[in-house]
Amino acid sequence: MFSFLTKKYAYAVCYCVCVLLSIGPAFAGDPIYPAMLIPDSLKKHAHAVTRKEEITVKINDPGDVRVTKHYVVTILDAEGEKFARFVDSYDKLKEIRSVKGTLYDALGLPVKKLKQSDIQDLSGAGADLMSDDRIKHHLFFHNLYPHTVEYEVEIRYNHSFYLPEWQPQSEESKAVEQSKLTVITPKDYVLRYKTLNYKGEPVQGNDGSDRSYTWEVKNLPAVPDEPLSPHWDTRATAVLLAPASFEMAQYKGTMNTWEEFGKFTYVLNQGRDVLPDNMKQTVHQLTDGLTREQKITKLYEYLQQHTRYISVQLGIGGWQTFDATYVASKGYGDCKALSNYMCAMLKEAGVKASCVLVYAGEDRSDVTLADFPSQRFNHMIVCAPGEKDTTWLECTNSTVAMGYMGEFTGNRAVLIIDEKGGQLVRTPAYSMEQNVQIRNVVAKVEESGEMTVKVNSRYSALQTDGLHGALNSLTKEKLMEGLKQVGFFPSYEVKSYDWKETKSVLPYIDEQIEITARNYATITGKRMFIEPNLMNKTSRRLSVDSVRIADIYLSHSYRDIDTVTITIPEGYTPEAIPPATALQSPFGVYSSKVTIAGNVITYTRSIDHKGGTYPASSYGELAKFYNSMYKADRSRIVLVKK
Amino acid sequence: MCSRSIVFPLHLIVGCLISCTAFSQSKVKFGKITPEDFKPTSFEKDTSAHAVVIADVGSSEYEVDRDDLNLVFRQYRRIRIIDKNAYDEATIRVGLYHVGSAEEKLQNVKAVAYNLVDGKVVETKMDSKSIFNDKASKTVNIKKFTIPDVKEGTIVEYSYSVSSPWQYQLRGWNFQDEYPVLLSEYRVEIPEFYDFVFLKQDVNGLLKHKADIDRKTFNLTYESSPTAAAEHYSLSANTVKNVWWAENVPAVREESYTTSLSNHTTRIEFQIAALKFPNSPVKPMISSWEKFSEELYKHEDFGVDLSKNNAYLGDVVDGLVAGLKEDTAKARRIYNYVRMNFTCTDHDGLYLSKPLKTVFTSHNGNETDINLLLIAMLRRAKLKADPLILSTRDHGVTNEMYPLAARFNYTVATLTVDTLSYFLDASLPYLGFGRLSSSCYNGHARLLLEGTTPAPVYLNPDDLLEQKTTYVMVMGGEGGSLKGSYQQVPTYFESCSMRAGIKDKGKDNYFKGHEKDFGAETVISGVEVEDLNDNEVPIKVKYDFEIKPDEAGMLYINPLFKEATLKNPFLSETRFYPVEMSYVIDETYTLNLTIPEGYTVEELPKSSVVKLNESDGFFQYLIQANETAIQFRSRIKLSRAVFAPDEYTELRRFYDMIVKKQSEQIVLKRKS
Repeated sequence: MFSFLTKKYAYAVCYCVCVLLSIGPAFAGDPIYPAMLIPDSLKKHAHAVTRKEEITVKINDPGDVRVTKHYVVTILDAEGEKFARFVDSYDKLKEIRSVKGTLYDALGLPVKKLKQSDIQDLSGAGADLMSDDRIKHHLFFHNLYPHTVEYEVEIRYNHSFYLPEWQPQSEESKAVEQSKLTVITPKDYVLRYKTLNYKGEPVQGNDGSDRSYTWEVKNLPAVPDEPLSPHWDTRATAVLLAPASFEMAQYKGTMNTWEEFGKFTYVLNQGRDVLPDNMKQTVHQLTDGLTREQKITKLYEYLQQHTRYISVQLGIGGWQTFDATYVASKGYGDCKALSNYMCAMLKEAGVKASCVLVYAGEDRSDVTLADFPSQRFNHMIVCAPGEKDTTWLECTNSTVAMGYMGEFTGNRAVLIIDEKGGQLVRTPAYSMEQNVQIRNVVAKVEESGEMTVKVNSRYSALQTDGLHGALNSLTKEKLMEGLKQVGFFPSYEVKSYDWKETKSVLPYIDEQIEITARNYATITGKRMFIEPNLMNKTSRRLSVDSVRIADIYLSHSYRDIDTVTITIPEGYTPEAIPPATALQSPFGVYSSKVTIAGNVITYTRSIDHKGGTYPASSYGELAKFYNSMYKADRSRIVLVKK
Repeated sequence: MCSRSIVFPLHLIVGCLISCTAFSQSKVKFGKITPEDFKPTSFEKDTSAHAVVIADVGSSEYEVDRDDLNLVFRQYRRIRIIDKNAYDEATIRVGLYHVGSAEEKLQNVKAVAYNLVDGKVVETKMDSKSIFNDKASKTVNIKKFTIPDVKEGTIVEYSYSVSSPWQYQLRGWNFQDEYPVLLSEYRVEIPEFYDFVFLKQDVNGLLKHKADIDRKTFNLTYESSPTAAAEHYSLSANTVKNVWWAENVPAVREESYTTSLSNHTTRIEFQIAALKFPNSPVKPMISSWEKFSEELYKHEDFGVDLSKNNAYLGDVVDGLVAGLKEDTAKARRIYNYVRMNFTCTDHDGLYLSKPLKTVFTSHNGNETDINLLLIAMLRRAKLKADPLILSTRDHGVTNEMYPLAARFNYTVATLTVDTLSYFLDASLPYLGFGRLSSSCYNGHARLLLEGTTPAPVYLNPDDLLEQKTTYVMVMGGEGGSLKGSYQQVPTYFESCSMRAGIKDKGKDNYFKGHEKDFGAETVISGVEVEDLNDNEVPIKVKYDFEIKPDEAGMLYINPLFKEATLKNPFLSETRFYPVEMSYVIDETYTLNLTIPEGYTVEELPKSSVVKLNESDGFFQYLIQANETAIQFRSRIKLSRAVFAPDEYTELRRFYDMIVKKQSEQIVLKRKS
C-alpha cells in the first residue's frame, strides 16, 4: 500500500498507521523484522531466513487437536520465493480455521495485509479421480528483495491418528534464526515423539491439568547444496509426533508398537476381503490343482490383466480400503483396494498372503523408522510368505514382473498387516552382481567417417527399471524417436530397435539397436580421430572447490561391462592410443583398455559401482574416481593414413 | 427479441425433440456393438497406437429452456483401447463454467465398456452415481467419471451433453486426437438469427462439409410473476444444419521447433458475427478493427482506465521523470521502475485481472495489468504510449482478417517518440527497454491507437536477429599447455539467461561450469563481465583459460574449443510440420593461435564454405597458417527462421556439415 511512496514519507505514514490502527506486527510489543538485522552467518547459502516460528500443538482429547503456526520469514532473493507462500491442505479430518498474513518491506515496515479473498482454494485431487483433499494457497507476489512475510494459521484436526511434524529447516537453503515447537496435552495423555538431529530433551512443564513439551532451535545456518548428499530429511533437525492411543472417525486404536498399529489397520479393513461368488468360481477355475507358486503367478497375471489403478480418496478412504466386491465389479481401485483384492483372491486359492504398508519412492527407502511406530506410509503392496521364499507383489502396476521390487518399494522396512497385528520386515534388495548391464558393440567405420553400429545389451534387476517403464508405455515409433534424442553421436539414425523382456523374479531385458552415425570419426587430412567408448560414457564430474559438509550417499550398486570392436578402413596406423586405465576406490573399481590388431580396434570397459553412505572426508577420493572415469571415457585414438 | 405467436401445441414440441435426436446420423450407434467390432480395423496407418478412436461425434444446437435459448453440446465417443497406456481414455473429465446463477450443466451421461468374452459381447455400464464433482476454481467445476471393467482390447463408449446459457459461445471441434480417429464428425445447427464466422484449419485436406436448410420453431415460456399465467412465445426460423467430418485422421505428432501444435491440427472454431432477429435491426457482433479497438478502449477490463486522468499516478510519475528532458529517457525510467517493482503472476491473458489502481497498489498482476499500468504511467508523463495486443507462440496465430479477441492472449506497450517506435514489456524482469521476449514473435499483432484504425504490426521471427561473436586468442604455455583469452558477446537471449545464471551462482562459479565444455582439463580465471546490469544490450564476457596438454608429443586442437556445434539439432529423419525457430541466428567465431614454441603445424583442416540453398544461409570455415600463427574464422548464418517440411532435409544436411567440419582438429607436432 505504501511502497510506492518515497521512503521517508512511507516511514512516517506507516508509523502513524501502525500506531493508530495497530495493523503492525501481531506480536504485541515485539520488534518488527528488518532484514538488516539478519546476521551474515545466516545469509550464507540462504535464499530465505525464518526469523521466528512458533508452532503449538494442543491435544485437547484424541478427537480434537488444535495447531497454531505463527512464523516470520525473510525472503532474500527470487529463489527464496517458494518460502514466501502459504500452502496447506485440508479435508474431512483437518480444517484450516484461519489464515492471517502481513507483508513487510526490507525495513520491516508493513506493506500490506493478507486479504481473505486472495487465498486460493484449490482442488487437491491431482491425479486422483476424486479426493476430499483441498488446498489453500496464498502468496503476496512481491519482487523487491529482501522482504518479510508473516503468517498466523489455525488448524484443527478432528482426530489424532497423525500429528504434525516439526522440521524447522524445510530445505537446505532456508536458515532459521529461531523456531519453537510446543505440544500441550492433558496430564494423562501419553505423547510419543522422536527427535532427529536434535540435541537434548524437550523442556517439560506442568500447568494444572496440562503437560507441555517444548523443543527449540536457534541460528541454524543454511546448508550448501552438495551433490550426492543423503536425503535432506535424514540430515535436518526434526521432531516427529505420534499418539499412543488415538481416534479417527468412529475408530479407536493404539500405536505404541508396530504390532498395535498393524492390528488397528487390520481391524479397519477387516471383512473387506470377501470376493463375490462369481469371482470365487473364477479363482478356483484358474488355480485348482496348481502349486502355490503357480497359483500366485496365475492370479497375479489375472490381476494385471483385469484391473487398473484409479484412486478415489474420500472420508477416511486414505486408510480404509474399498472392498473386494468393488474391485471385482469395477475392475479398478487404488493401491489398498487392489492389494486387498489380490489378498482375497490368494486366500480363496488357499495361499496365505497379507497386505503390506510401505513408504514408497525412489531414494526414500529410509523413511520408516523401526523404533518409532507411526503412520508414515504412502503405499500398499502384498506379501505372500512361503516356506522357502517370500513373494512380493506390486498390485498397481500391470506390467512389472511378479515378485520384483524395484527402486520404488525395494530394500526398505515395511509393515505386514495380518490378524496377529503388524510385523516390520524388509523388502528384497538387489546386489551389484544382480544389477548388471552387459553391452557388446560391433561397429564399422567407412573412409568417409560414417559408421554402422550394432549394439546388443542385457540389463538386469534395478538396471531394468527405467527401460521397463519406457518399453511398456511408449510405441516403438516413440521409443526410436527417444533413442535419437539421447545424442549418442553428433548426427545419426536409428535403423532398428528390438527387445525382449523376461519377467522373472530377477527380471532382465535383452535389447538390440542398429545405428548409422555420420561423421563419428573425425577426419582431418590424413588423420582419423575416434573415441572408442561408443555408448557408455559417464556424464558426472565432481568439482572440489569447497570443504565437503554432507556425507556422501551413492544410491546404486551396479556393474557395467562393455565390449566394443570397431573395424576401421585399411591403411591406418595408430599415432596415439589412450593408455589403459585401472581405478580402485572404496566406491568401486573401473577399468578400460584399448587394443588394436590390424584394422580392428577392441575396447573393453567395466565398472563395479558400490552404493552406500560414505563419510564427507572421502569426497576428494570420490571426485578423483569419477573425474578419472569421465576423462578415460572420452579418451580418443588418433590414426594416421600411410 | 422474439415475435409473439400462438400457444404451441404439445405434439409439435415432441416432434421437435424427435428431430433433434435424429440429428446425429453417423453410422456408429451407441450400444450397437457386435463381435465383429473387436476385429482390428482397416485403419493401419498408425498400428502402434495405444488406442483407436472409432467414432468421435459431436453436435451443437439451440434448444429452449423456459424463457431462453440454451446452446446444447453433445458428444459421443467410441474408442478401442488397444493397450494399458490408453486406459486414461476411459476416464472422462468435463469442465463446466459458472458465473453467478448462470451455469453450464452436464446431462445425460452414459458410459459403457464392452468386452469380448468367449466370443460374446459383455457390456458393463457405469453407475450414474459414480460421477464426481471436483471444484477446480471459483468459476470452473470439473465433472469426472471413469468407465468400469476396462482391459486391453475393451471398447468403451460414452456420451453426454452440456447445456450452456452462453448462446454465442459455440464450441469448436478438434478432428485430430492423440490417437488416430476413424471418424470425427461435428454437426452444428444454426438458426438464421445467429450469424457465425467459421474458422477452419484443415491441415491434411481431410475435412468435408455439407449444409442443409431446415426450419425450426422455438417455443418460449415467460412467467411475469409466480401467480400470473404463463405466456408463451414462439419463434420460427430457418436453420442451417452444417456437418463437418473427417475420416481416417492420423494422430497428432509432437515435433521440436514448432510454435504451437494448435497451428498444425485439423479443427474448426466459431465466432459470432451478427444477430439478425426478425423485426430488429441487424446487430453486428464482430466488428471492424476500428470498432474492436474502440470497444477494447471502453472495456472495463482493458482500456477504460487509460483515458482517465489517473491522478493517483501523479506523484510517482512526477518523481520518476523529474529533471529528465528527453522523452526516451523519461520512458526508460518509468519502464524500469515498473519492471523492477511489479511482479507478474501470469503471462497469459488479454484482459485486466483487476482495476489499474489495484494493480498499482498491490504491485502485482498479469502481463496485461502490468503493461497497461505502464502505458497509463507513460501517458501520465505526456508520452505517446499505446497497447499492442498479440498472441504468444504457444497460443497459436491471430486472425488478421477478423478481430477475434479470443485469439489474443498478451498485451505489451508501444512507445512512440517522433517517428520511432519501441515495444516494451515490463512483465519480464530480465528484459530491457525496447525488447520483447521471443515468444511474442508470432506474426500478426495489433497496435491499438486511440481514435484511429489499429495498425497491423508483424512480429516475425525472421526479423529477430540473434547475433553472437566470439574471439579467442591462444598462445603456448609451459610444458605443452595452451594459454588463451576468450571474449564473447553472446546473443541477446543467451545474455538474458546468463545474467540469471550469474546472479544465481556468482560470476566465478558460473564460468567455472564452462571449464568442462573445453573437453581437455582446463582452468578458467580472470572472469570479467560487462553490461551485467544493462538489460538492453547483450553482456560481454572475457576470461583467461589454460588447457593442460592431453597427449604427449602431438597437440590436437579443435580451433573452436568449446564453441563447436557438437550435435545436429535436427534429430529426426523426416518432418511433418514446418521448422519454426524463434529467431534468425548469426554466429561468428574468430581464433588467433600463436604456434607454441617448439611445435610446427602437422595438419590443418581444409577451409570450406557451404551455402544453404541459394540464399537461405551459409557456413564458413576458413583457416590459414604461417610459420608462427594460425588464423581461423567460422560463421553460421541463417537468413530465416521458418523452413517448410520439404526444406527440412537440406537444413538437416547443412547442420550435418557444420557438425562435421566443426569437429575437425589442428595437429601440431613437436619439432624433433
